[in-house]
Amino acid sequence: MLRGFLILVLFFLLGEALRLVFVLPISGGVLGMILITLTLMLQGRVSNELASASQGLISVLVLLIMPGVVGAFFTVSQFQGQWLAVAVALLLGTALSVLTTLFLMRALVRASERSRTDD
Amino acid sequence: MTELLPRVLALPETLAATPILAIGLTLSAFFIGNWLFRRLGRPLWLPPVVLAAVVLAATIALLGLDYARYQHSAQWLMLLLGPATVALGIPLYQQMHHVRALWRPIVCTLPVAATLASVYALVIAWALGATPDVLASLAPKSVTAPIAIGITEQLRGSVPLMMGGLLVTGVLATLFVDLLAGPLGIEDERILGFALGLNGHAIGTARAFDISHKAGAFASLGMGLTGVFTALMLPLIWA
Repeated sequence: MLRGFLILVLFFLLGEALRLVFVLPISGGVLGMILITLTLMLQGRVSNELASASQGLISVLVLLIMPGVVGAFFTVSQFQGQWLAVAVALLLGTALSVLTTLFLMRALVRASERSRTDD
Repeated sequence: MTELLPRVLALPETLAATPILAIGLTLSAFFIGNWLFRRLGRPLWLPPVVLAAVVLAATIALLGLDYARYQHSAQWLMLLLGPATVALGIPLYQQMHHVRALWRPIVCTLPVAATLASVYALVIAWALGATPDVLASLAPKSVTAPIAIGITEQLRGSVPLMMGGLLVTGVLATLFVDLLAGPLGIEDERILGFALGLNGHAIGTARAFDISHKAGAFASLGMGLTGVFTALMLPLIWA
């Protein structure tokens, strides 16, 4: 478990190092996630240590994002006179983009599964 | 007896000097949120993360701690978000055969949906008269926070404003995926997971892992790809 956690921390540090050295706009966490996925694909297996460490962290993901989520209640006043525009944009914009993603994926998944059965 | 009271009243102030109070409060709110969610009969429109956040916000306000101080102490928890993001690579690897089977729909959907995720909101906010700095703060609303901070700084938006929009978007995306899946007749966990991660970043991804391991892996993929794509695209089209 701890050994797995060490691997995750090392990949995160590697991602951060790459971001800082090459001045990349992508966060160390996401770079680390890409790197560890590629490494595992090359290795062709994942150790139990790493799998259990990752499962542990993912199961508390909601807890880790909570301090940020609470911030939403305290930043409302900073939108000043524009809160209506912001509220409508977030509500309607997110509804539309979720709809777009679901429709596109459903149509494309159906199309690709149909073409596979035709082959 | 009389000298005890001032000391008791000063407790929030004194204990707030160490991060452990913020961590204790966050953990408690997390469990209370989950408990409330079950008591209310698992309402789709009120996920545990929102309930927990309401409880936590109310507690912070009641104790008279201000948010900046709470957040400063809670950084101990948020530090773990880095390794936790890396951890998303493991389910992604384990589900790679499912991802390979769907690579074409994923590659076609991503650029369109990730671009529209910010364009819809930008057009609506612009039409309603939002100023350029507010628009710049709304643009990365579907991107995972650490990447979004970098984008907002580059576009000269306000980071606190962006964080507010980001968090509301994450919660709304989770709600809309849950609410729309039924009427649209979508049961495919791969599609639901991908939509959760693409639109709702870490908040949507956390929800996807509630659905299943497979949905979580697709959410991680959606979140990662949206973050990378938006970070490269937004600064280019921002004229």
